[in-house]
Amino acid sequence: MASNKKYWRSVEELNSDNSVVDQLMQKEFVEEIPTDAFLGDKESLSNSSTTRRDFLKYVGFSTAAASLAACQGPVLKSIPYVVKPDNIIPGVANFYASTMADGSDFANILVKVREGRPIKIEPNKMAGTWGSTSARVQASVLSLYDNNRLRGPLAHNKTTNWSALDSKVVETLNTLKSNKEKIVVLTGTTASPTSDKVIADFAKSFGNVQHVVYDALSESAALDAFETMYGLRALPNYKFENADLIVSIGADFLGDWQGGQYSAAYTKGRIPVKGKMSKHIQIESNLSLTGANADNRIPVKPSEQVFALINLYNAVTGSSFASNKTPADGAIKNIAQHLKKIGNKAVVVCGIQNAAAQILTNALNEALQSEVFDITSPRFVKAGNDTEVKNLVADMAAGKIGALLVYNANPSYSLPNAKAFNDALKNVKLSVAFTMSDDETAVNTQYVATTPHYLEAWGDTEFQSGQFGLMQPTINPLFDTRQFEESLLTWMGADKKYYQTLRDNWSTSILNGGSWNKALHDGLFNGKNTVKLSEKKVDVSASATALLKETKTADFELALYAKTALGDGKQANNPWLQELPDPITRTSWDNYMTISAADAKALGLENWNVSDGALNGSKVNLKVGSIVLNNVPAFIQPGQAKGSIGLAVGYGRTSGMQNEMMTGVNAFAMMQDFNPAQTVSIEKVAGTHEFACVQLQHTIMGRDEIIKETTLDDFINKPKDEWNKTPEFSLNHEAVAAEKVDLWEKFDDTIGHHFNLSIDLATCTGCASCVVACHAENNVPVVGKYEIRVSRDMHWLRIDRYYTSDMTNEKAKEDGIFGSGEMFNTMMIPQENPQVAFQPVMCQHCNHAPCETVCPVAATSHGRQGQNHMSYNRCIGTRYCANNCPYKVRRFNWFKYPDNKEFDFNMNNDLGKMVLNPDVVVRSRGVMEKCSMCLQKTQLSILTAKKEGRPVKDEEFQTACSSACPTGAMVFGDVNDKKSEVAHITKDDRAFHLLAEVGTKPNVMYHLKVRNTEES
Amino acid sequence: MKSVKKHSLVNKIIYLSLTFLLFLNFNVSGQTGNYDKGKQLFNVNCAACHKLDKKLIGPALANITDKRSKEWLHAWIKDNNALRASGDADANALFKEYNGMPMMQYPQFTAQDIDDILAYTSGKPKEIAQNTAVAKVDPKVAEGKQLFQANCAACHKLDKKLIGPALANITDKRSKEWLHAWITDNNALRASGDADANALFKEYNGMPMMPFPQLSADDIDKILAYTSYVEVKADVTQSKDSNLAKPKASTAWMSIVLGLVLLLVIVWIFVKSNNGFLKIAATIFLLFGIAYLGFGALFQVGIDTDYQPIQPIQFSHKIHSGDNKIDCQYCHSSAKHSKTSGIPSLNVCMNCHKSISEYNGPVTSDKDKAFYDGEIQKVYDAIGWDKDNTAYKPNFEQVPVKWILVHNLADFAYFNHSQHVTVAGVTCQTCHGPVETMEEVKQFSKLTMGWCIECHKTTEVKMKGNGYYNNIHDQLSKKYGIEKVTEAQMGGQECGKCHY
Repeated sequence: MASNKKYWRSVEELNSDNSVVDQLMQKEFVEEIPTDAFLGDKESLSNSSTTRRDFLKYVGFSTAAASLAACQGPVLKSIPYVVKPDNIIPGVANFYASTMADGSDFANILVKVREGRPIKIEPNKMAGTWGSTSARVQASVLSLYDNNRLRGPLAHNKTTNWSALDSKVVETLNTLKSNKEKIVVLTGTTASPTSDKVIADFAKSFGNVQHVVYDALSESAALDAFETMYGLRALPNYKFENADLIVSIGADFLGDWQGGQYSAAYTKGRIPVKGKMSKHIQIESNLSLTGANADNRIPVKPSEQVFALINLYNAVTGSSFASNKTPADGAIKNIAQHLKKIGNKAVVVCGIQNAAAQILTNALNEALQSEVFDITSPRFVKAGNDTEVKNLVADMAAGKIGALLVYNANPSYSLPNAKAFNDALKNVKLSVAFTMSDDETAVNTQYVATTPHYLEAWGDTEFQSGQFGLMQPTINPLFDTRQFEESLLTWMGADKKYYQTLRDNWSTSILNGGSWNKALHDGLFNGKNTVKLSEKKVDVSASATALLKETKTADFELALYAKTALGDGKQANNPWLQELPDPITRTSWDNYMTISAADAKALGLENWNVSDGALNGSKVNLKVGSIVLNNVPAFIQPGQAKGSIGLAVGYGRTSGMQNEMMTGVNAFAMMQDFNPAQTVSIEKVAGTHEFACVQLQHTIMGRDEIIKETTLDDFINKPKDEWNKTPEFSLNHEAVAAEKVDLWEKFDDTIGHHFNLSIDLATCTGCASCVVACHAENNVPVVGKYEIRVSRDMHWLRIDRYYTSDMTNEKAKEDGIFGSGEMFNTMMIPQENPQVAFQPVMCQHCNHAPCETVCPVAATSHGRQGQNHMSYNRCIGTRYCANNCPYKVRRFNWFKYPDNKEFDFNMNNDLGKMVLNPDVVVRSRGVMEKCSMCLQKTQLSILTAKKEGRPVKDEEFQTACSSACPTGAMVFGDVNDKKSEVAHITKDDRAFHLLAEVGTKPNVMYHLKVRNTEES
Repeated sequence: MKSVKKHSLVNKIIYLSLTFLLFLNFNVSGQTGNYDKGKQLFNVNCAACHKLDKKLIGPALANITDKRSKEWLHAWIKDNNALRASGDADANALFKEYNGMPMMQYPQFTAQDIDDILAYTSGKPKEIAQNTAVAKVDPKVAEGKQLFQANCAACHKLDKKLIGPALANITDKRSKEWLHAWITDNNALRASGDADANALFKEYNGMPMMPFPQLSADDIDKILAYTSYVEVKADVTQSKDSNLAKPKASTAWMSIVLGLVLLLVIVWIFVKSNNGFLKIAATIFLLFGIAYLGFGALFQVGIDTDYQPIQPIQFSHKIHSGDNKIDCQYCHSSAKHSKTSGIPSLNVCMNCHKSISEYNGPVTSDKDKAFYDGEIQKVYDAIGWDKDNTAYKPNFEQVPVKWILVHNLADFAYFNHSQHVTVAGVTCQTCHGPVETMEEVKQFSKLTMGWCIECHKTTEVKMKGNGYYNNIHDQLSKKYGIEKVTEAQMGGQECGKCHY
C-alpha cells in the first residue's frame, strides 16, 4: 500500500521559494564541477602520446625492472695497505697502555686498537687505584669520533692555518711581553708534571705570565684547607679499604667528589668476611650514588650538613663550638660514639665546599687518628683555585689582562658569571682557546688552537704523589690539530717537540733511572713519593665560627650536583652518555630539579605517567639571588631531604654541539661563588615536561625473590635458609629445591667450557660503567630521547634500581590487608628515605630458556657453552621471545638505526662509525637483539688458546661488563674449570638466581646484598 | 669466461627458463660427468694418492669404471668405511690388499662430482704434439746458466743493471783473468790495489760484492760462457688448442630431446586431448615443475660461485703459486693469525719484484711477455719503484691497489681464517679450490651456510698435539669412550659460533 507520507531532505525543502532546493533536485552539487578545465581540452588530451593504459604498463614494467636490477650484487673493493705497518695484522686488535686525563677524568687505561682505530677503552689492571674506568672514561673513545670536532684552527671564527695563526699570536705575545702586560694561562686541572713544566717555561720566556687553574666542579675548599694545614696544595688520599666506619657529610665519593676513583677501595670492605664489613653512614640532601650505597642515610638540607659537621666535631672532640640544631642531632650523638669506639679505623669525609668545613673535617680525622685519612701520598687530580679565577675575571674586566689562553676549560659555559666573563674577554688583547670543538669559550675567543683528543696526543699525569701515568697517541691525528703543549712550545720558539720534552722531563725528573720503554709499555710508573709537608697549627675554633657565619639558611636550599653520565658537561656531545640512564632517577637525556614528595605536594608539583607509560612532570622557575632558571622540570625524588632540591650541572650546553645533544638547562649559572649549595626560591609554572625515564616502577612490590638482601646481623647469626632460601617445588609430594626440578631434559654441559657470570649486589655501586662498556663492545645503537620515552631503549644491560616501601608483605599480614588493593597501592610508594638497591640485569642465558622454545624460526638457541645465541639473520621479528622472557632483557630493533637521519647519532656519520666493533654485526631493523655474554670475546680467548696449544687461563675469559666493572662486582668465567674464580663463588651462600622459581636455570647469578644496619 | 657482474639474476632467470623448457635435463645429465671438472677435482682431491696410469699409494684409476660398477664407486668414494662396514666383499678385499690402510672419505662430493671424476678417469686425453724447436745449445752454456741463476741472479741480470751491473758480454769489457780474480775474491783484488776493481767499488757506492771462493775456475768459465752467449729465441709453437682433449661427447642432447618430447606431450594434452584426467595431471605436473624451478632460482640468489671479476692488476696465481710454488701464506700472511687472510700489501710484492722486473715464463697468445711486464709495472707505479735505477722514487705519493673482492661472506657470518688454517690445518684449496691453477682467481666454493655446515659435520677435530684439547679429550674419552669427534659435535654447528 502506498504511503502518502512525504519525506524531505532538509528544512529548506519545505520552503518552495528556495532556489537552492530546486537546484539540488536537478544536480548533486550546487556548484559546477570544473571537469572541463582538465578534460575539456579535447585536442591536447588526444594529442598526448601516453594513454592511461600505457602509463600503467610503464609503471608496471619499471617496477619489475627496478626490482630485477636490484638483485645485482654490488662490486666490492678490498684495498690493502701499500706498505703494511709491521705491528698491524688486519683483523687482530692491538692494545696500548695510555692515560685518560682531560681535566675532569683521570684513569690508567688500555686502548683497544683495530687497524689503527681505537675502538674500546679497557681498564689497566696493572694500575691500582687509578686503573679503573668510569662510564665517562669508557665513553671517551666515542668523543674521539665526535662529528662536531673542529677540523683545524680558527681565527675570529673562520678557518685558518697554523702558520698564519702562529705568526699573529706570536706577534701579539711579543708586543705584550715588551709592554710587560699580563698573560694568563687558564687551564683545567693538568695534574701533568710535563705540561706544568712547559707552562713554566712559557712563563719564563714571556715574562709576566700567570697559570690559573680552574675546575668547573671545584674542590678549591678542600685544597685550601689542605694547603692551610699541611702547606701543599693537594687533596688528602682516603684509604677506604682500611675503613670500618665511614661517615660522609655530603661527600659523593663514589661519584666525582675530590676526583673520584674511590669505589674500588670502598667496596673492598663491603663484603662480609669473617662476620665483618665496613659501615657507611651518609648525611646528605640529594640522594647520591654514594647515599644509595650507604647502610644508614640521613637526609638533611645543605645548611644542616654544616651544622651536623660542627655538632659531630663537638661530640667527638668534646669541644663546644657554636652551632645550630639539626634533625639529625640524635643520630649524630650515636655516630660520634661509634666513631670514638672505632677510632683509627673510622673516617669522616665531607663534601661541603667551604675551606672551614674542610679544615674541621681534617681536624676531626686527625682527632680520630684515622688510618684511612692519608696525607702522605696526596692527590693532584683537582687543582682549581676559585679565588684566582674570581680575581682573573675582575682583572679582565678592568683591562689588566693582555692575553688569555684557555685550555681544558670552558669558562664561557661553566662560570656562574659567564656573561661577565664573555664581556670581559673583549678587553683582552689576545684570547686563544685550546679546544676540540667549537664550544662556548671558542666562540668568544679570537683564536682557536684546535687540540687533538687525548687518544691522539702525548702526555703524562701524576695522579697522586709518586703515581704516574703516560699518555700516548693511539691513532694519527684525524684532523689538523696540535696539542696545547706543542702550541706553547712553538710560540716560545723551543727547538724541541713536545714528545721530546716529555721524554727528557721523564728521564731527568721522574724515571730516576727506570726504563722509558717499560713505562710507556705499562702506561704507568710508580716513582718516588717526593712530597714534603709542613704541618701548621690551625685555629679550628675560628674556622667553626667562620663556617657558621658563612652558612645561609632558607626554606629551600639548592644542592647542585654532577651526574654519573655527564659530569661537568665536557663530553655532553657524546650520545652514549646522553642516553645513559642516571643510576638513581633512571632518566636520560635531561637534567631536572629533584624534590621530595612532601615538598612537591606542598608546591603542587606532580609527576605522572601518561597512557603509554612515559613519565611527565610539572615545571618550575628557580631563582638564586638575581639568577633565574626558567622551565626547569621537577622530578619527585624519594630520599631527597625536605626543604632541599637538587639540580645537575653539565647540561644546557649550546655551542659545538649537535642539536639532539643540547638537552637540559645550564645549572652552572646558579653556582654563585663556586658554591654548589645555594638558597633558592621555587615558583611553579604552567607546562608539562616529558621525561625519558627507563624505569617507571620504584619498588619491588613485595616480590622479595627478585632482589634479595639481608642484614649483617642475620647473615652472621641465622642459617642460610632464613635469608637466602631457595624456592621449593613439590615433586612426588615432597618439597624439593627448585634447582632440582626440571621440566626439560638436561643436556650435558660438563665438557668443554660453561660460562657463568656472577654479580655481587654487595659491591655493585650502580656506577653504570658496564652499561657504556656494553654499548661500545656490542655496537648497541643510540635511539634518542623520544624512543626512550616510548620504552624502545636498546641497552642490552640495564641497572635496575629499587627503593624500599613502608608496606611489606609482613606488615600487610599484621594489618590484615594482605593481598588487598590497599596493600598494593601503598607498596607502590617508596619510603620517604628509602634504602636503595641496584641490580644489573642482562640476558640471564638460561639453560632452560623460555625464549628459545617459542621462536618460530629457531633464531635463538642454546649453546653448549651456556650462552643463549641469537642469530639476527634468522630472526623475523615476531617478538614472541621478548614476550616470553621473564627478565625482559630482549630488545627489538624498531628502526634501522645506522644510516638513518631520524637517529642522527654516532652510527650516522662516517666518523662516528669508526668506533664500531668490526667483530660484532650491526643489527638491522626488525630483529631482536640482546646480550650475547660477549660471545665474540669468549670465542676469541678460546681461539687464541687453541692457536697457542694451551688451556685458556681463567682471567682471559671476560665480558665487556665484567672487565669494565671498577669494583669487581662482576666476575665472569668457566664453571667447568674448577680452579676458576667464578666456579669458586658459585658455591657461595649468598648466591641466588633471579626468579629461581621459574626454573629457567640461568647462567647469570647474583650475590645478595648485606646491609650493616646494626646500631652501635 | 669471466664476468664483471656479480650475479645477474636476469641471466639466471633466462637460463632457468631454458632449463624449464629442457625440463628433465637435471635428471638425465646427472648420469654423465664433465671431463674438465673431473680433472680439476681429481687433481685436488685424488692426485695425492692416485695416478691414472700407475699405482701410487692407492691403485691406478684409469678406466676404473670398467672394473667396478658406478654405484659401487659412488658408495666407496663417499664413505668407504661405511661400505666396508656393510660387508661388501670387494671393498673389504681392496682394504686388505692395501694393508688395511683406509682411503679418505669424501662425503662432500655430490653424485655429480663423482661422475665428473669418473668421466676423467675414463677419458682418453689426446696426445698433444708440442712442436718445440729445440735450439742447439752448447752444454757449457746450459750449465753456466744454471750456475748463474743459482749464484748471480739475485744481484745481476744479463741485460740490465740490478743491484750489480749488467753482465751480458762482460768478457768484452774485462779480461778473463781479472774476472776470475774478481769473482773468486773481489776484496783481495781491491786490496791488491787494482785500479779497475776500486773504481767499480766506488761506482757502486762502496757496496762490496759477495766473494765466491767456492766457484772453481771451470765454473766461472761456464758462467762467463753463458754471459757471452747470445740467446736464440726459441721458436716455440704452441698448439692453440687447449692442452686437454675435448671432453667426451655429452649426453646433454638426450635430455634436450626428452625435454622437448615431454613439452610436446603437455602441449598436445592441452590443445588436442579431451582427457580431463590427463589435463589435470599435466597441470599439476606443470605447477610442481614451476614451483621446483622457482625455488631453485630463489635459492641461487646471492650464490656467486665462479665469480671472477676483472682485477686492476691481472695477478696470476698460476704463475706465483703454481709455477713458482710460492706458499700461499707467504703473501696471505694474516691467514694464520687473523680472521682475514689479508690481501698482501705492495711491500710484500716488492720483496721479490725488486729484482724480478720482467716475466720470463711461458706465455699464451693473448697474454705475452709484454702483457705480464706491464702488470708488474702497475705494481711499481703504485708503490713508486724506479726499476731502472732500482730505487724507490723520492717523495712519491703511493696509491693503494683497489682489488675487487672475490669472496664476499655476508656481514652477519663470522669466519676466522686462523681458526681453520692454524688450528684445524685446513688447506687453502679446500675452500678456495685449485688457486694454483687459476690465471685469475674465481670463487670456487658456494660460501653458503649449507656448505659450511656440511664440512663441519664431517670434519674431525684435530685434538692430538694441541694442549687446549687435552682436558676435553680426557673428559670425552672418560665419559663417553669417544676418541674422535666432528667439528659439529664440538659445537661447530651452533648458531652463535658464527653469528654474533
